[in-house]
Amino acid sequence: MTARLEIRHLSKTFGSTRALSDVELEVEPGEIHALVGQNGSGKSTLVKIVAGYHLPDRGAELRVDGRPLHFPVQPHDLRAAGIAVVHQDLGLVDHLSVVDNIGVGQYHRTRFGRVDKHRERAEAEQALSRLKVSLPLLAPVRSLAPADRFRVAIARALRNLHDGEGLVILDEATRALSKDSLASFYEMLRHAVGAGSSVLVVAHSLPEVMAYSDRVTVLRDGRLAGAGLCTGDLSEQEIARLMVGRDVATVGRPSAPPGSAGDAGIVVRGLDLGEGDVGEIAIARGEIVGVAGKPGSGVDELPYALTGAHRPAAGTLVVDGAAIDLASTDPRRALLAGVVLVPERRDVQGLALGLRVAENVTLPRVHLRGRRHFTGIDWQRREAAQVVETLGVRPSDPSMVAGKLSGGNQQKVLLGKWLVGGPKLLVLHEPTQGVDVAARQDLLAALTAAAAGGCSVVLASSDPSELSAVCHRVIVLVDGRIAGELLEPDADAVVDAVYADEPQMPEPEPRSVATP
Amino acid sequence: MSQSMHELGSGAGATAAPDVVADSPLAGSPSPPVEPPATNRVLGFVARNEIAHRYAVIGVWVLMLLVYIAIEPSKMLQAATFQSIFGSQEDLVFPALAAVATFIVGEFDLSVAFIMGLCATALPVLVVLHGVNVVAACFIVVGIGIACGLVNGFFAVVVGVNGLIVTLGSGSLMLGVSLLISDSQTVSGLSVNFGKIDLYSIGGLPISFFYGIVLAAIFAYIVSFTPLGRHMTFVGASREVARLAGVRVNRIRFLSYVASGLLCSLGGILLAASLGGFDSSASSTYLLPALSAVFLGTAVIQPGRFNPIGTMVGIYFLATGIMGLELLGLGGWIEDAFYGAALVIAVSLAEVVRRRRGAS
Repeated sequence: MTARLEIRHLSKTFGSTRALSDVELEVEPGEIHALVGQNGSGKSTLVKIVAGYHLPDRGAELRVDGRPLHFPVQPHDLRAAGIAVVHQDLGLVDHLSVVDNIGVGQYHRTRFGRVDKHRERAEAEQALSRLKVSLPLLAPVRSLAPADRFRVAIARALRNLHDGEGLVILDEATRALSKDSLASFYEMLRHAVGAGSSVLVVAHSLPEVMAYSDRVTVLRDGRLAGAGLCTGDLSEQEIARLMVGRDVATVGRPSAPPGSAGDAGIVVRGLDLGEGDVGEIAIARGEIVGVAGKPGSGVDELPYALTGAHRPAAGTLVVDGAAIDLASTDPRRALLAGVVLVPERRDVQGLALGLRVAENVTLPRVHLRGRRHFTGIDWQRREAAQVVETLGVRPSDPSMVAGKLSGGNQQKVLLGKWLVGGPKLLVLHEPTQGVDVAARQDLLAALTAAAAGGCSVVLASSDPSELSAVCHRVIVLVDGRIAGELLEPDADAVVDAVYADEPQMPEPEPRSVATP
Repeated sequence: MSQSMHELGSGAGATAAPDVVADSPLAGSPSPPVEPPATNRVLGFVARNEIAHRYAVIGVWVLMLLVYIAIEPSKMLQAATFQSIFGSQEDLVFPALAAVATFIVGEFDLSVAFIMGLCATALPVLVVLHGVNVVAACFIVVGIGIACGLVNGFFAVVVGVNGLIVTLGSGSLMLGVSLLISDSQTVSGLSVNFGKIDLYSIGGLPISFFYGIVLAAIFAYIVSFTPLGRHMTFVGASREVARLAGVRVNRIRFLSYVASGLLCSLGGILLAASLGGFDSSASSTYLLPALSAVFLGTAVIQPGRFNPIGTMVGIYFLATGIMGLELLGLGGWIEDAFYGAALVIAVSLAEVVRRRRGAS
């Protein structure tokens, strides 16, 4: 049988970073195929290459139903081959009707040059009926429930296809769907797949992959970690292990925190991320506490709630005896108390990429260390030089514009900007995401050094190997609460704890297509 | 994270101007050099070479002067020509620097010319029509300028409407008010003595020229060498980065509008003083030249950033160009055409610089 989509020898280099390296992917007709991997593993790069946003390195091959497509992939070639990509934002026009959204981009004209409303409507009806759904055709899309908006997006993706043709790529598109609506959404996809069309789901949630996909391809650090594995033969933990398993051998776990019991410098009480009290967290001076959990567990919100970046519904943070009300604080007050944040989005929240490294480093202290009428020069030079030296920023020129540094070096500048101020509590969110291995070692080493110097650290990460490498203990969040705590765990133990609870998914339909 | 970087790097490479961004810094260093199309080579060189780039506008300025002098030596080399270039631009200096105050922090004030116009109208109306003491009237006018800034700041920062829209509307509103209080007439009759605060001659140039220089110097010092200036720069570069670093982002944004209103009121007082009165319907003629200079200024001294010194260079650059063209015999229309074209070119240049520097 010819594969619906066949990718061979796909590599992609960005400057000095290898985002994809000799990756293969095969999607059969009539299957739901999942593509999984951690952030930075290369899955969205792969989709972007297929969608024509990126040009792959030489030697890559892409075939649809046996026919080769040429790089860079052109939109009309994609359409002709029957491939439609649905992105996370769905690309719907909110104030237009269902019919308009399904027909957008291919207006049929009447003889007098007007849009042929009747034909458009008929086609929209047909596209929806093929998915066995009915929607109010003339209602504006913004009035629809989230799940129905997805149906419109899928109907549009399938509008020109005959039964049994085509491939719909869902690029993290299902993220916004609730667990309940996921079931009916996939039921709808099964109608299309049952007739022979294919679906490639780029997914974040492993329970979703387990419940609804036929086969799964796993990427890790831009390489193939598992190709076309039958989902039914695997457990969630097995897939998770394929996804992680990065080497972090050379960063030794720091010795036990110097501050022993009774020296809890930091206490978090009554924190409510929207699903009730998370539970008390006490962090000793010099202790590194990891936070793990699935997407949606609160692991991605906790760092911002602790540092005043976003206000949680309730919560108190006690730093050396002084209490901060997290529900009403802001980053400025958190900073004054010695609480700092290394956010996930380095380019938007971390650094001003158009400004110089030195300016970025000294920003948080410029009004404290400088005089009102003069910023001062020496202390800025010292701080910038210290960051560049201790973290090994390359090139080691503090007057460079931050945006010209590689991702890893930017991350070092970001971490250094806070470390040089001697924080009491350092909170990090995915600090090594999309960072090369060498920079990762440097960053984690800087973390342990900071802890050894007496700083308390909270490290929220989706990378179990990173958590196990540096954390004294790891807190596991489930549905916005602390579900467990692991002392000096290894990576497998973290994976097992995160995915321990049974996936709360409705039973999947019996699969209609035998997996090849 | 690196993925968004990658998008930036290679996404830019795929745009229509590959020479400008082909070796985008974000894509990492050793990418093979792409041969730029000939038309863009000059721009590419200017953008690539920091020093060439920093002083390119000044170079063009000198070149322009030399060309004019070569063509019309008798007219260009008169002292009166230089006096008219350097002595007639104060009406632009204040609104342009006011606009820079908001642009630096990432806001937009298009009402600068109309705040200045309102203030320039209110002063003679108060003094001549209502008999208010001229010093008291000046304080009232400064209050009016600050009040305009407060209104802009309230809607743009507190309510959160796009500053461009707010000031576009408030500018028109202020124009309407100034027409109302002056009954759409030119109100004049300020004393000649009062006019000296603008026109008093020092070395052949009016004192207001030196006001502008001093103001720009103080402003530039604040931006480059004080904590406030650093905060302003970061608020303009990335609001979220500034907020997470403890900067009071909204306070700075709000105060930028107030400062803009204050500067415009000072400009308005000088404007009315120099003319002895003001025709409020002329307000709008100050907007486009001021904006052209501000954008041109981003190509000078601190490439890619709005900066006061660059703005001053921009103002006198444009004045020189127009003066020369008029001396060569081109009609009054050249002023509008030149300012308009300069704005488009200056903004394009700023965009090229921005991409070059890897800012996003």
